[in-house]
Amino acid sequence: MRVLKIIPERCTGCMRCELACSYEQTGTFQPSKAVIRVSSFEGHTSYAPYTCPQCAEAWCLTACPVEAIGISPAGAKEVADDICVGCKLCTIACPYGTVFYDPDSHKAFKCDLCGGKPACATVCPTQAILYVEAGTEDWLASFAAERALPAALAGAR
Amino acid sequence: MADTTYAYAGRILRVDLTTGRIWSDPFPGADRRKWVGGAGLGAKILWEEVPPHADWDHPDNRLVMATGPLAGLPVWGTGGLTVVTRGAMTNGATNTQANGFFGANLKLCGYDAIVFQGQSPRWVYLHVTDERVELRDASFLLGKDSWETQQALEAELRLTGHRLSVYSIGPAGESLVRFAAIQGDYGHVASKNGCGAVMGKKRVKAVAIERGARGVAAAHPHALLAAAEEIAHNLKTDPSTKGLYMFGTLGGVRNLHGMGALPIRNYTTNVWPEGVDTKLWEAPNLREGFDHRGHQCSACGMHHCHMQVIRSGPYKGQVVDEPEYEGWAGAGWAIGATNPQEVAWLNTQLDRASLDVNEFGWLCGWVMECQQKGYLSEKDLGFRLEWGDVEGAGRLIGMICKREGMGNLLAEGVKRASEKVGGPAAECAIYTMNGTSPRGHDHRSRWEELLDTCTGSSGTKDTGPPTFPTEWGLPARISPQDPVPVARQVATLRGRKHFEDSLGACVFTTRVPMDILCRSVAAATGWDIGRDEAMRAGRRAAALLRAFNLRCGIGPELEKPSKRYASTPVDGPIAGVSILDHWETMLDTWYETAGYDRKTGRPTPETLRALELDDVIAPLWGAGARA
Amino acid sequence: MAAKRHVIVGGGTAGWNAITAIREIDKGASEITLVADEAPYARMVLPYYLGRQIGESHVTTAGPQRLAALKVAARLGRRAARADAAGSKLVLDNGDEVPYDDLLIATGSSPVRPPVPGAEGANVHSFWTLPQARAVSGGIKPGSRVAMIGAGFIAFTILNALVSRGARLTVLEIAPRILPRMVDDAAAQIVQGWLEARGVVVRPGVQVTAIEDKGGAKVVKLKDGPPVEADLVIMATGIRPNLGWLEGSGVEVKAGVVVDARMRSNVPNIYAAGDVAEGPDRVTGAKAVHAIEPTAVQHGRVAGANMAGREVAYPGSLLMNIVDVLDLEIASFGAWDDAGAEAAVDLRADRPAYRKLLFRGGRLVGAILLGRTREIWATNDVGMLKGLVYTGKDLSAWKARLRARPQDIRLAYLATGTARELLPQTLLGGPSVPERDVTVNA
Repeated sequence: MRVLKIIPERCTGCMRCELACSYEQTGTFQPSKAVIRVSSFEGHTSYAPYTCPQCAEAWCLTACPVEAIGISPAGAKEVADDICVGCKLCTIACPYGTVFYDPDSHKAFKCDLCGGKPACATVCPTQAILYVEAGTEDWLASFAAERALPAALAGAR
Repeated sequence: MADTTYAYAGRILRVDLTTGRIWSDPFPGADRRKWVGGAGLGAKILWEEVPPHADWDHPDNRLVMATGPLAGLPVWGTGGLTVVTRGAMTNGATNTQANGFFGANLKLCGYDAIVFQGQSPRWVYLHVTDERVELRDASFLLGKDSWETQQALEAELRLTGHRLSVYSIGPAGESLVRFAAIQGDYGHVASKNGCGAVMGKKRVKAVAIERGARGVAAAHPHALLAAAEEIAHNLKTDPSTKGLYMFGTLGGVRNLHGMGALPIRNYTTNVWPEGVDTKLWEAPNLREGFDHRGHQCSACGMHHCHMQVIRSGPYKGQVVDEPEYEGWAGAGWAIGATNPQEVAWLNTQLDRASLDVNEFGWLCGWVMECQQKGYLSEKDLGFRLEWGDVEGAGRLIGMICKREGMGNLLAEGVKRASEKVGGPAAECAIYTMNGTSPRGHDHRSRWEELLDTCTGSSGTKDTGPPTFPTEWGLPARISPQDPVPVARQVATLRGRKHFEDSLGACVFTTRVPMDILCRSVAAATGWDIGRDEAMRAGRRAAALLRAFNLRCGIGPELEKPSKRYASTPVDGPIAGVSILDHWETMLDTWYETAGYDRKTGRPTPETLRALELDDVIAPLWGAGARA
Repeated sequence: MAAKRHVIVGGGTAGWNAITAIREIDKGASEITLVADEAPYARMVLPYYLGRQIGESHVTTAGPQRLAALKVAARLGRRAARADAAGSKLVLDNGDEVPYDDLLIATGSSPVRPPVPGAEGANVHSFWTLPQARAVSGGIKPGSRVAMIGAGFIAFTILNALVSRGARLTVLEIAPRILPRMVDDAAAQIVQGWLEARGVVVRPGVQVTAIEDKGGAKVVKLKDGPPVEADLVIMATGIRPNLGWLEGSGVEVKAGVVVDARMRSNVPNIYAAGDVAEGPDRVTGAKAVHAIEPTAVQHGRVAGANMAGREVAYPGSLLMNIVDVLDLEIASFGAWDDAGAEAAVDLRADRPAYRKLLFRGGRLVGAILLGRTREIWATNDVGMLKGLVYTGKDLSAWKARLRARPQDIRLAYLATGTARELLPQTLLGGPSVPERDVTVNA
């Protein structure tokens, strides 16, 4: 299966992925509704995007009381808007923080890999987001530990 | 047709600091098309709302912080902030830009611009969210530099990264240093004409904008994404921008030195001093010695705007924003500093204190030269400041920001300081007679910039370097010291920059053929806008800023360089060539091409009519003039 | 060998998930009998039915066709009367006997009402079952005065629907604060203020003494204040697991049926899942009843897998709830009320926002998160807090930082490799299969 592989060292924090993603999600450029989200580490010197890893357990899918979440041909766990009632059980079931609730539509929403053509990967100017055949991994742990942890310790002093 | 707000938030946020009243006005469709945003919108507000008696430090002055239609959209480099105000250096119009995420985040909160008026009784910061705007007590931010201010607000508002944009003044703005700037999002500086002093006078320490939950719609989103890619492709591949794409403005040092335009030691020489490792100053090498980190503006893919950690030397471990060419010049060559890591450090100190790096370069270089020549004593300043003394320059920043000792005089800028000191020292200072600070070049070999800086009505140049001049029937290349073609080029291309400055976009990412740029604006807004309309919009803003200046009493008599600024280079590629021999000819050509009256400096009634500025004819030319 | 006979008692979330887990694994090789007094439907979505966002058909989990397709013999409209553990038979309320090889107890809970005069009178409703939801829905008109007795999670799930239907609401709660089993005092106070600012009358710390009729209206008498007049009264005063029928069965019952990590009771071929099961608690390691939907799902899946012969150990459930009222989001996780934990608290003065992180040593054992809906979902924090509590990641290095900058949950989550730990984990030992893709062999 093709997955979104993140190479955090390449991210410059331009947030273009959020813009493109939100356009796919909503038809306007509205990053609050993007399902890929860029974090900053240690102030403004390191950034990385983070999105649904399309995990094998599919916590969101099993949690849904109305079977609104299925697996798309691209392999993404996908919310069917006409079935979702917005009860948010998927959002607390998901331990990755990548299922969201839209207060305007009253539905859950999450990364659906744009039907196999993820906009975030297309628009990333630095190829920090790749859509490739790979196993899903925690792409950010080492980077975040290296960049954010020293800052955390500094903040703790 | 319905007043759709494609590409715009459609509201202008208004803040009366005197009364604390906050409201918003619509930004109607007809106004949007006529003034576009940014510089255009700011010019309109300045002209309509700031009377001649309202000097830069008067409560009636307006501080316009505006963005434009491309901000918050996926076109590269579109977080743009344009500041328009009556500035402290010239006491006239100001049009100065910074990027980062200001424009994107502001529009996501539902506003295209913020307009400050009045003067706050206490220090405040403006907190903007998508549902509430508040003036809040800023006493806990006082004395902090602009990076510390942003960090403190991040902690206060519990937001990190680009979820919060902070544009603030440092200690310089607090003490009304005349060349104080507004700095935002770690390294983006609206630096010209003392806009930071205006903000300081209004007692606004910062503007903190949360990344709102609203959206920005494009009229034709697919066409917009395609236009954005076209712009990106052009920037990456066009020979005129490829270097910018790869290295931002770093290439400037080497290139400008080659043409005698690198300002070295306050214009006393045009050749590298002996012993300088010139290899170090080539574009890729200027990134050596740093742990180099991307820190791009909204939606941008240029390899420009970076954060860096200094790897070695006395400033090892410190985080700096990679200097622009202007920083390498102002915090480096102009003051004789030639160690890139030290220059980067000093440049960041200026950004954090929020001072204009150009003016600082001219000022510090002037002090250094005057001390070397004995025009200023060690006692005058309090210490010995030699060429290249970065630590000493840092000390100077502190004195200026606190207006300590001679810092109080230097805080007035090099024009006023040198005039005050007088004697031979006055002849060493670089400035224009209207008080503008030139960019970090040696304009004695770039006549288009010297002419542009002197005739500009924005507190800086109006036209900027030529961008695709052939689009306007001009030759692709001219000699930078060929008076008539130079003047014609500056006047003909005038307007393009004002249009760019109205878009909420970056001066570098708009450096593409005008048709391509217009395609992105058309896709965003739904307008059938082409390059002629775009240029007209830009020239309209330029003409109105000039009209504003004329109304304030800033006329053509001040359109002159200082003695040193227009002196004759003693060495380098154009040694012995003087612009002054051609000055009047250049002005003649410039005025004629611009459609402005040579004697009074006014845009002619015909020019004003062509720019749909009929309302400006009577105020400029008297009631008898036919509108 | 004869096909194994699974009997499932209860068609709610736990029972239904057990059925689909069995079928996912055995593809129809076993016999499944479902005994339930109602056809399977999703109780969690009844509030949206009340709010008229969905129709009644949307509530149904499985109709006759689906049951048939999964080869489930359904005894609907029947209740279990007794379990004969020794004889491996279930006795139904009509006296029928259903023999089993293994039995799943998934009989869920029922609402309880306080024993006050008038509690069972006309226009006094519970909101738990589909028929009750129909009754409440039918009783509400724009402008109706509704007295909600009880301000717990269940009550809160229907506040939005009631307001959207135009009801004028008074919420009465016997405990000194609203949401007493979901959030702490500070959070409850913010929620109360939020509701009051939006026209909802909120009265915590009051005890109902009687519900009387006056004309066509109801009068709710209080021990501690003036009575409340209403057109309709909703009792949301708690639920109790349906365990009475197990008396004398030999199945060990404490707060619920005590089960091991395979959801098995002390009787080896009797399992329990959902609200009736007292299973492992992920945070404390002890046994607890977590009468929440996510636990019912997992209990059901684990029980079903084990009944189908796949030995699956349940890692334990996490107490958690999320609900929004009029665009204020409220969530809590794990041991949010652990008085012995070290708490990091962030209460915002400038907006309704509150978060509390509870640490034991370096572990996050619980959390409360409250804020405007739009602001909460601009973060990843809901799921990340769940992930941090669930994994019990060592956050020692982050504790002080999180105290100073509680917005940095995301960074702590990422930097500690929480996702890395979670990714290989699956409940049933492989990728989950959507229920709709579960089929049986012809």
